Amino acid sequence: MAAMNGGYSDNTPAADPAGPPAKQNVAPAKTVDTQSVLKRLQSELMSLMMSGDPGISAFPEEDNIFNWKGTIHGSKETVFEGTEYKLSLSFPADYPFKPPKVKFETGCFHPNVDVFGNICLDILQDKWSSAYDVRTILLSIQSLLGEPNTSSPLNTQAAALWSNQEEYRKMVEKLYNKPAA
Amino acid sequence: MESISLSDCNLGALDSLSSDSIEEILESWSCFCSTTDAILNGNVEVDVEDEFVSYVHFLCNHGLRSLVEDQFFQSLEVTFETRGVSRFWHHFDAYINGSMLMNEASGLEEVLYKALEELSLVKRCQERTLLMLVHSLESHRDSTLDKKHTSDAERVYLLSKYKLMVSSVLMASIPRQFPAILNQYFKRRLEELSTLMDGGCQEELHDKENMDLDEKRKSFSGVGEMDIDEHHNRKKLSENSLLVKNIGKVVQDLRSFGFTSMTEDAYASAIFLLLKDKVQDLAGDDYRSSVLDSIKLWIQAVPFQFLHALLTYLGDSVCPGSPSYGLKSPLASHPSSFYPGVDTPSEGLIRWKLRLEYFAYETLQDLRIAKLFDIIVDYPDSSPAIEDLKQCLDYTGQHSKLVDSFISALKYRLLTAGASTNDILHQYVSTIKALRTIDPAGIFLEAVGEPIREYLRGRKDTIKCIVTMLTDGSGGNASSGNAGDSLLEELNRDEENQDIIDLNDDFNTDDKQAWLNAQRWEPDPVEADPLKGSMSRRKVDVLGMIVGIIGSKDQLVNEYRVMLAEKLLNKSDYDIDSEIRTLELLKIHFGESSMQKCEIMLNDLIDSKRTNSNIKKTLPKPSQAEGEARKSEFSLDALAATIISANFWPPIQDEPVNLPGSVDTLLSDYAKRFHEIKTPRKLLWKKNLGVVKLELQFEDKAVQFSVTPLLASIIMQFQDQTRWTSKDLAAAVGVPIDILNRRINFWISKGVLAESAGQDTNDHIFSLMEGADSNRTGTHGGSNDEHLMGDEEGDRSLASVEDQLLKEMTIYEKFILGMLTNFGSMALDRIHNTLKMFCVADPSYDKSLQQLQSFLAGLVSEEKLELRDGMYVLKK
Repeated sequence: MAAMNGGYSDNTPAADPAGPPAKQNVAPAKTVDTQSVLKRLQSELMSLMMSGDPGISAFPEEDNIFNWKGTIHGSKETVFEGTEYKLSLSFPADYPFKPPKVKFETGCFHPNVDVFGNICLDILQDKWSSAYDVRTILLSIQSLLGEPNTSSPLNTQAAALWSNQEEYRKMVEKLYNKPAA
Repeated sequence: MESISLSDCNLGALDSLSSDSIEEILESWSCFCSTTDAILNGNVEVDVEDEFVSYVHFLCNHGLRSLVEDQFFQSLEVTFETRGVSRFWHHFDAYINGSMLMNEASGLEEVLYKALEELSLVKRCQERTLLMLVHSLESHRDSTLDKKHTSDAERVYLLSKYKLMVSSVLMASIPRQFPAILNQYFKRRLEELSTLMDGGCQEELHDKENMDLDEKRKSFSGVGEMDIDEHHNRKKLSENSLLVKNIGKVVQDLRSFGFTSMTEDAYASAIFLLLKDKVQDLAGDDYRSSVLDSIKLWIQAVPFQFLHALLTYLGDSVCPGSPSYGLKSPLASHPSSFYPGVDTPSEGLIRWKLRLEYFAYETLQDLRIAKLFDIIVDYPDSSPAIEDLKQCLDYTGQHSKLVDSFISALKYRLLTAGASTNDILHQYVSTIKALRTIDPAGIFLEAVGEPIREYLRGRKDTIKCIVTMLTDGSGGNASSGNAGDSLLEELNRDEENQDIIDLNDDFNTDDKQAWLNAQRWEPDPVEADPLKGSMSRRKVDVLGMIVGIIGSKDQLVNEYRVMLAEKLLNKSDYDIDSEIRTLELLKIHFGESSMQKCEIMLNDLIDSKRTNSNIKKTLPKPSQAEGEARKSEFSLDALAATIISANFWPPIQDEPVNLPGSVDTLLSDYAKRFHEIKTPRKLLWKKNLGVVKLELQFEDKAVQFSVTPLLASIIMQFQDQTRWTSKDLAAAVGVPIDILNRRINFWISKGVLAESAGQDTNDHIFSLMEGADSNRTGTHGGSNDEHLMGDEEGDRSLASVEDQLLKEMTIYEKFILGMLTNFGSMALDRIHNTLKMFCVADPSYDKSLQQLQSFLAGLVSEEKLELRDGMYVLKK
């Protein structure tokens, strides 16, 4: 019978990293706000990129992280299926304490979207909370497309037509301009 | 024809002539013609000459002098053509129509001699008759007291006219092969001379040796020996001079027939051919010795002697002490000492010397360049050849030849899939070192190195090989060979020479050279690293060039960190002296800050050693009872922990493993002691890392192993139960079945375990081999110190650099897809800038434009992206 006779040597534990302080840029008090906003937006971008939610996407414009371009695809089994809408998101300097301004860049025939692309969505106005982020905003808008709030419409024609989904679908297709690639 | 020219030229004179005198003139004209023919055809009688003179006088009196001359030359031409030239060429018929080959023509010399002899006979005859005419013309002039012209000018004019006629007749009828015949002749003569000289040289050497011996014995008799030596020399010279005289005569004859330039071409090309052969003969494929000096000596000995003798014979070697002395060959510092028997070389001779030397240098250079690849392969041994090549290139300045030919050799022979990365790197290092000799400014190196760097960038294991080369030298690892040593040496050398180099950084000489080269050169390839200023480029340093392959030192440092981590984790003692040394060297080169993490890793090990001994020292002696209970268990003495600051180590793969209970208790004991000593710190064990030394005791013997904890755990399970199904065993050691199956192969290959199929196809049964196969292990000797780290991809305890890179790249891919979704199409540099701008979290985007481009190309080939007119768009 084989017998074990040996010792464990050199097993490698990792010391609890109470060691050297983490490298952090301690910015002067004056710019703390901007710094933290930048950080927040960057981490939101990272999590948005890594989340890989289908049908929504956004990315900052080349030289200004406060202005983003967004893309939303109409959800399946709604009248907006197969459409793609461009959005613009502009973040205030005191984000995330104030909501970003979100507009449709592509014309959208929708009860809660006016002809200028303004969106009537509660979480973008009075129901805003700093717990929301770009991803949740985009998801909310995506679901808004399929479930409009017809009680307080910005586009009354669309609100009136909503009950007739077939006609509505035709209208969406008629008015839909595929954004240039 | 005569009448026409008569009426043309002398119309005025004719008018004044009476018909009688015309008759008379015509009469004497026809007589003149016939006598001329008679004289030229050799039927010369005494009175004919007088007649001839009188006719000439008569005709000249009537102002027909130019007619007389023309007629005479025409007759000369006709007879020369029929009697001389056609017969002359007839001699060579056999060679010309190919019935006799020239190279086997032992008779060629004789034929040439004979032909030349005959032709010069004809020519001499004709010259004599020409002189006759000249005399008669002179005497006529004397009689008419016309002293306007000096007779000399007249004679010179006629003779040169004759010469012109001779050469034009010959040239008009020259067969195509004649230059080749001449060439062949000179070649053979020269070869003869060369062997004569060679023999002489050897004899001379031999004599010298003898003389040295003699001198040692009786030094006072040196004078006599010298006499003998001189006598011998004279004998040799006389033999030579005979040969040279023959050649000289041929040359002179040929010259007199107007073949001057053709002759010169012929012997020049013969000399060059011989020189080329000689150079090739001397240089050969031996790169271990310098041949330049012996070539120079040979040039002095054979072709130069030949030319000297020839030119002297022809009387071209004149003006001793003329200003031509200033035209010394730049290579011969003391020209006069080289010419035995020649005090002052003539200008022509110097020109020849320069030509010969240039040709020799060029030939040797071409020869060496063609073999440069092989030369560099045995570089440290072949440095004499490199040194030769450097001198040749300095003289000829044909560096671009070297670059072109070497690059194509590299592409053909080195940069192929078959060559291992280590070999390529080794050759690259040798190339750097060799070319550093030839071109200290490193500008050619830049051009030559570019294809190698380009190629190496495409290889995945380049960085790893470089790091291995950098670090393995000190370990004395024989398998990595010279390459490793040389790089580590380089590291050392760099350190030692740093100050000296800085001091020697002389602006004047180096800059001038660099400027000259730069003018001759195409601009740096666009890819050349702009970060490397002219300062750093001028100082060719091997490490810098190596790092240049990778692009940034960060990648190299990172790879080094991974390798270092692996090495350190596999150490069972805390002996890190060689690592510290390497790190110190790298720090000098790459800077303290970039090596900081590595330093912390090493410090971790040093701290671990201290902590480890500290813990063991403060260990309370186990009470008697406890000691009894634990007797069969392990004591803390058997345990040595490496405590790492995980933040600074490369990501460590965490693989759960269930250690045997006794070991686990030991570990928690250790951790508890650690916590007591180092509150508030706690230990988090990475149980899958480390080395276990264990001994397996079989019935007849004990075998020692050093294995990973997982393997130790596996074999430990067999201590109580000799048969396990893979499923159960996997559960017992706490790893997935596939990993277990892979790892357990180690024990199977050692003959400790045996595998058999179970009821389920996926279930295997492992059972302990009771000593049956232990002979197999026994043959390896008692102990088996197997380090099986890294023998399989999955066996690595650390995420490799490639894995890290892949991980980074997936993040970038998401970003790129994200931005393209929202912006439609983007150009390469916009993507690059955007990534730089927004991809800042860990790991931040630090790739070059080229890396991004190749990554995007990968995405295009995966059909995720499309490239249209330089803009990337999402593939729909």
